[in-house]
Amino acid sequence: MENWVWLLLWGTVVGLDLVSVGQVMFARPLVAGTVAGMIVGDPVAGGTVGVVLELFALDVMPVGAVRYPDYGIGAVAAAATAAGAPGALGTGVAVCVGLGVAYLGEVGIRVVRSRNTEDVRRNRAALEEGDESVVIATHLRGLLRDTLRSVAVTAAGLLLAAAAYRWSPITVRGAVLVTIVLVGAAIGAAAAGGMRLSGRGLALRWFGLGLAAGVVLVVML
Amino acid sequence: MRTLFRTWLRTLVVQASWNYDRMLGVGSAYASIPLLRGLPKERHRGAMARATQFFNAHPYMAGMEVGAVARAEYEGLPDEQIRRMRHALIGPLGSVGDRLIWAGVLPAAVGVGLTVTVLASPLAGVLCFLVLYNLAHFAVRGWALRAGWRGGHSVARELTARGVQIGLKILGPIAAFSVGLALPVVADWLASDFQTRLRFSIASIAVLGVVLSRWIVPSFGGLRFGLVVAAFGLLAGWLW
Repeated sequence: MENWVWLLLWGTVVGLDLVSVGQVMFARPLVAGTVAGMIVGDPVAGGTVGVVLELFALDVMPVGAVRYPDYGIGAVAAAATAAGAPGALGTGVAVCVGLGVAYLGEVGIRVVRSRNTEDVRRNRAALEEGDESVVIATHLRGLLRDTLRSVAVTAAGLLLAAAAYRWSPITVRGAVLVTIVLVGAAIGAAAAGGMRLSGRGLALRWFGLGLAAGVVLVVML
Repeated sequence: MRTLFRTWLRTLVVQASWNYDRMLGVGSAYASIPLLRGLPKERHRGAMARATQFFNAHPYMAGMEVGAVARAEYEGLPDEQIRRMRHALIGPLGSVGDRLIWAGVLPAAVGVGLTVTVLASPLAGVLCFLVLYNLAHFAVRGWALRAGWRGGHSVARELTARGVQIGLKILGPIAAFSVGLALPVVADWLASDFQTRLRFSIASIAVLGVVLSRWIVPSFGGLRFGLVVAAFGLLAGWLW
C-alpha cells in the first residue's frame, strides 16, 4: 500500500469520470482495476478483480436518474486488496471489498445530488434572472462536491483494503469459498444483464448466437 | 469555430451539477455560456435564464440542445417557442442517446474488452475497450453539438439522419452478440483455477443469480445480489 497516494489520485479521477467529468469510461471496473493493479505492481490481480466487477457492472443500465454503484472506485480498492495474494485466494475477499465500496460510492452520489438540489433551490432567484456568475458558481460547486465524494470514497476504500489485507479472519479454504460464490454471482449478474439488454426481439437471438460462438471459442482454445 | 470548441469542452462536464430540481438544466446553461456570450447584452440574461430551466437528456446528446437553443436565441425566436423546443427535445435526446450509447456502444465495447483481456492481456483489453468506445463517444458528442448549432429550431430532423437510424438498428444486436461472446470466454477463464466439482458450484450460483435477477426479484440488481452473496460467502468462509 506504499503507492496509496497514486491510488488515491487514480480513484479520484475514476470517481469523477463516472458522472461529472468526461465519462471516457475510466470508471469501468475493467479499466479502473487494471490500472490500479499496475500502480500496485500486480496488473494480473487488478485485471482479474476488474473483470469480476465488470461482470456485476454489466447489469447496470445508467439511464435517467438511476442509482449508479461506483464500481470504478470499488475496483481500485479491490485491486489494492488483491495485490500480492496468490490467485483465487485474494480475488474473493477483494471483490467483497469492491462491492462494499461500490455501494458506498452510490450512497455518496445520492448525497451529492441532494446537496446540488439544495444549492440550486437556494439560488433559484439568481438563476431565474439568468445571472451568469451564479450559473458558473453553482456548476463548479457541484463539481467540487463530486471531487470531495471521490476522494472520500477512495480513501475509505483504501482503508478497508488495508484492513482486509491485514486482519482478514478468513482461512485459505474460506477464501476459496468466497471466490467461488462471488465469481458465480458475477457471471449470473452479467448473464441477467445481457438478457435484459437484449430484450425479446432480434437482439436476444444475437445474444444467443454470441453465447454459442463463445462456447465454440472456449472449446477450440 | 473556437467558440464551438469551447462549448464542446464544457459539454464534457455537463453533468457536474446534476440535481433533482432541474436535472441537467444548470449544466446545460454552463455549457451554453461561450455561445450565448455573443448575444446582445439586453438578450443575454433572458437567454441564460431560459438555459437554466429544467432539462434532461443523455449527456453525450446534451450538446445538441445546447447548440440548437443557442441558434434559436440568435434567430430571435420568442421565449415560449424556445421553452417548448427544449421540452420537446428531452424525450428524443434521452431515448436516442440511451439506445445508441448505453445499450449499444458501451456493452459492445465492454464485450470486446473482456474477450481481449482473456485472450491477450488485461492491458490489451483495456486499450481495446477505451479506443473503441471513445472513437464512438467523441464522434457522437461532436456531431450532436454541430447538428444542434446547424439545425436550430428544426434540430429534430437531425435525429432522423441516416447514420443515426443505422446506428439504432445495428448497435443493439452487435452489443448483444459481443456480451454473449464474452460471457463463456470470461467464465471459463475465471473458473480455470478450480476443479470440475467447484466449477459446477460456480455454474449453479450463476444460474441462481440469473433466475433471481430476471424472474424472482428483477429490481434487486447485480450489486444487491453481489452484496448478499458476499455476506453469506464471508460468513460461511469464516465459520468453515
